[in-house]
Amino acid sequence: MLHEHHPLIGREIAVRKVTPLNIRAVADGARFVLRIDPAQAAQAAKAFGSPLPGKIGDVTVSKGRLAVRLGPDEWHLVVPLTEQEAIETAFAKLYATVPHSLVDVSHREIGIAVEGVAAMLALRSAIAFDIGGMPVGTGCRTIFDKAQIILVREAEDRFRIEVWRSFADHVWGILDAASREIALGI
Amino acid sequence: MTSYRIPEKGRVNQGKPVRFTFNGASYVGFEGDTLASALLANGVHLIGRSFKYHRPRGFLSAGSEEPNALVGTDRGPGRFEPNTRATVLEVFDGLNTTSQNHWPSLKRDIGAVNDALYMLFSAGFYYKTFMWPKSFWNKVYEPIIRGAAGLGKSPTTPDPDTYASRFAHCDVLVVGSGPAGLAAALDAGKSGAKVILVDEQAELGGSLLSETDAGINGQSGWQWLEEARSALAAMNNVTVLTRTTAIGYYHQNLVGLCQRLTDHLPNPPADAPRERLWKVRAHQVVLAQGSIEKPLVFEGNDRPGVMLAGSARSYLNRYGVKVGNRPVIVTSHDSAWLAAFDLAEAGVKVAAIIDIRPNVSGHLMESAAALGVEVLSGWTVTGTSGRLRVASVRANPVSRSGVVGSARTIACDALLMSGGWTPSIHLFSHTKGKLDWNEEGQMFLPGEATEESRCAGAGNGVFSLAAALAEGAAAGAAAALDAGFAAKAASYRVDGELVLTGANNRELPTDRNTSKAKAFVDFQNDVTAKDIRLAVREGFKSIEHIKRYTTTGMATDQGKTSNINGLAIASDAVKRPAPAVGLTTFRPPYTPTTFGAFAGYNRGELFEVTRKTPIDGWAEQNGAEFEPVSLWRRAWYFPKKGETMHAAVARECKSVRESLGMFDASTLGKIEIVGPDAAEFMNRMYTNSWTKLAPGRLRYGLMLGEDGFIRDDGVIGRLTTDRFHVTTTTGGAARVLGMMEDYLQTEWPDLKVWLTSTTEQWAVIALNGPNARKLIEPLVEGIDLSDEAFPHMSVAEGKICGVPTRLFRVSFTGELGYEINVPARYGRAVWEELYRAGQQHGITPYGTETMHVLRAEKGYIIVGQDTDGTVTPDDAGLGWAIGKAKPDFVGKRSLTRPDMQKADRKQLVGLLTTDPNTVLEEGAQIVLDPSQTLPMKMVGHVTSSYWSAALGRSIAMAVIEGGKAREGETIHVPTPGRTHTAKVVGTVFFDPENKRLSA
Repeated sequence: MLHEHHPLIGREIAVRKVTPLNIRAVADGARFVLRIDPAQAAQAAKAFGSPLPGKIGDVTVSKGRLAVRLGPDEWHLVVPLTEQEAIETAFAKLYATVPHSLVDVSHREIGIAVEGVAAMLALRSAIAFDIGGMPVGTGCRTIFDKAQIILVREAEDRFRIEVWRSFADHVWGILDAASREIALGI
Repeated sequence: MTSYRIPEKGRVNQGKPVRFTFNGASYVGFEGDTLASALLANGVHLIGRSFKYHRPRGFLSAGSEEPNALVGTDRGPGRFEPNTRATVLEVFDGLNTTSQNHWPSLKRDIGAVNDALYMLFSAGFYYKTFMWPKSFWNKVYEPIIRGAAGLGKSPTTPDPDTYASRFAHCDVLVVGSGPAGLAAALDAGKSGAKVILVDEQAELGGSLLSETDAGINGQSGWQWLEEARSALAAMNNVTVLTRTTAIGYYHQNLVGLCQRLTDHLPNPPADAPRERLWKVRAHQVVLAQGSIEKPLVFEGNDRPGVMLAGSARSYLNRYGVKVGNRPVIVTSHDSAWLAAFDLAEAGVKVAAIIDIRPNVSGHLMESAAALGVEVLSGWTVTGTSGRLRVASVRANPVSRSGVVGSARTIACDALLMSGGWTPSIHLFSHTKGKLDWNEEGQMFLPGEATEESRCAGAGNGVFSLAAALAEGAAAGAAAALDAGFAAKAASYRVDGELVLTGANNRELPTDRNTSKAKAFVDFQNDVTAKDIRLAVREGFKSIEHIKRYTTTGMATDQGKTSNINGLAIASDAVKRPAPAVGLTTFRPPYTPTTFGAFAGYNRGELFEVTRKTPIDGWAEQNGAEFEPVSLWRRAWYFPKKGETMHAAVARECKSVRESLGMFDASTLGKIEIVGPDAAEFMNRMYTNSWTKLAPGRLRYGLMLGEDGFIRDDGVIGRLTTDRFHVTTTTGGAARVLGMMEDYLQTEWPDLKVWLTSTTEQWAVIALNGPNARKLIEPLVEGIDLSDEAFPHMSVAEGKICGVPTRLFRVSFTGELGYEINVPARYGRAVWEELYRAGQQHGITPYGTETMHVLRAEKGYIIVGQDTDGTVTPDDAGLGWAIGKAKPDFVGKRSLTRPDMQKADRKQLVGLLTTDPNTVLEEGAQIVLDPSQTLPMKMVGHVTSSYWSAALGRSIAMAVIEGGKAREGETIHVPTPGRTHTAKVVGTVFFDPENKRLSA
């Protein structure tokens, strides 16, 4: 196989102060957009091999698989690369009885982890909604400055951004600028 | 130099001197000083020249309402800022400041001749004076006026500072930290609500910092303030932002705050942002903006040394600075008496208190007598003297019947005036909340709110300390309660507070000729009372018109000190009550705000999203020039060293036609459409028929809007019966997906089909040229590339260079062509592999310009360039792309409208210029008869125009009325200097038989 080009892999923003902050690209996974009639989501969960979140905005994490329900008929799935083929095969089998759409978007997105006491402060530089009111274990599609992202709150102080490849530099640049203020405590 | 500082008085740190300059002279102030207080402490009152008449001016106020004291500040290279208000500018070691609006110097200013020529500069002078001769406007009047006008000098270099922004959400936002704001924040904070308290000043306290007479809960005002600050600091749920101005109040309780982070620091950390714009969404807002003192309007009220009495009190009590050694007070409000008393108690000889009112309360009279201050009640002020600083005031008694008696001159070195107080209703006014006119107080007060907000304290017309604390506490508690917290308003005991009253005035009565009096209403725009009266005489009746004609209230201070006086005079002149004349609308920002704060992070690289393809880095390394296409930047052409664009594009075109070119097409929009009803959905969205398209085949798809006009196009592959790979135009990707989702969700929810954007999943490399197949044959696995198995307009999945690919055989150039889709992270490596392997064929990377030329040679349209939203398929020569047998598709019904079938619609045609070397300008208008009289009838315009290397001549496309029927005719293209002629031809210029596609 040829060499892959990752826009952000190896780059890191780190603030080691009173309010620590660490921002880095997360390791690649396989990603899918699953779109299916919500009435048949249970069958999709079977094919997926892990539960799918039942409420819009909910997130499930199990066996290294992340699923976010973004809309009535839309789930964003991130799984270990090794499981990509098996999941594709399972869904292909399901299609005969339960039509749906499973589309590979592994290369469309870049994952960015934003972690630390100052994580929320960094995100507030460019996200308009009240992140403080976002429960742990939820996610949503939103706007970061001028870029569309998916934001998942994985823990009190840990967030994951999923952003389209060509918008990743912009998001990174804003986070970098915001992290300088945090480092200065200003 | 005499010091006007009173040791041990004020809140500045007298143990911490700071050195700064003003107009090159070095001065010493103290930490905590503003430039104004520090200069006043050094006896400097002359701070600038006025805008129009270049009159010497001093400090009018001690706060953000200041109209006169605008200075330039220089913080180093690129960091010059004009129009900074000296009354809010904090001094620090090394601050350099300069005065404005004068030449050659502040003390001797040539422009002051305007003051003597004031007759020329009356209201509306620029409408009257510079009308004739008309030809003088552009060359003489405008340049001179522009040169002479303007406040300060614009900076000439880019701002080197950075700016930040932040969103915040809270339960209660309190604006203003005077007594009312503090009381509100304390009670809201105690309830556990998330509170943000903001104040524009460097420290909390508002009027408590300046007015020290009353005590709260048995403590002095300052002691109570200290406790309140500590209490707020101890609450984790309260955020206190000082040096932060609430600049605007927008819909649904969104309040913009501008926080100044580093301007007050002598050595700000490198990279620290200068300011931060907060966008706060508050559940509840408490506005405690306070009030602004009104100047009195009399001749000579703008002389340096004439200032607001309350401000003199601030300088004394807050900064420990006496504004003069022999001040005179002129007032129609009790509050100025307190300034006189404070000064007298500090050992300053107050020469006189002149009160316009014939009767003043006995206890004030007694206090004045006890302090040995002469009182002239029922007197007026009719003039001042002194060139660069007030030296005397001219006062006259006014009889009960209004007759102004003979004048008396009183020597003074400061004249402190008060016409009462005006509530600051600016933010409330931003919300379009109703304003109620209070006739007794001659002021507008907040009425019914349109947002979840409350007003408290002086900003709500409640001027006493006790009442402001009570109202603030009540507002804070009520706001917290409405935000869902149990809250109780605290009660406060205030001792030693006097009940203050006042009377309202227009211009003060005078024994002199009022038509010559320079009695200023708007100090910053140099508008006098007579200007306003003149405007009314000339027919202006509404304050909005009077404002624009006289420019009163239109300066950077937005009339903070002038609006109410202007309105009082206008209302008197119009002979209608003030509310009928109206109040000018307050608009954000509350005080002047830097552009940097609004831009925030969005400057330089972060100004706008720049989308780059996976192959962009290679293009950059290989010398590509780029052009923006929607948010993307795309390789435009690849010039070799010393090569012009024309030569590069000609070389790239030639290479594609003769051998092989490669093009980064990754920006093409891509949508994966999946489901049993995918073909039906495609039938409805596109004009073409999809039912019979076999899996493994491609088709050109054309999309219309409901109106029947072309919206988008692209090549679409059917991967399986139920799965389509749709491509869209680069700029149309998001729009097309949105339109499809819209139809699916609102019109056809019954269809079992789902959409996913895959634009960025795939990198796309277009290979075009006779050697395209030869290049990829050895690199492709799992796809038979023979013409029979994989003809033009085919798609197959396999591998290229070892990575998965969706391989399209398609051409946007007329040559044998492939579009190689590979997962985005492999895009760059596959590109490099192909480039390396293609060297044997002289493979040539090409950019968007060559792509445009090659497609134009074939007559392939570009949606958005050759169409403009009014072009039907038939107009564009794409009638063949309509599935005539289909029952319906988006836009079908509109195509049957008679107007859409008229023969004289603008239709797309080709043009060949008579002179083959003439490349027409895109957008140029087309006429049929160049000798007709002006304005000519324009029948169309050039949409695309290029030099074609393959044809050795220029080619163009155009939309022309009834164009198709004009084939063979000559049309004319008038351009500056020359009218070109061209022949109307078909749109396909090169290889019309499409022999090369299947080569």
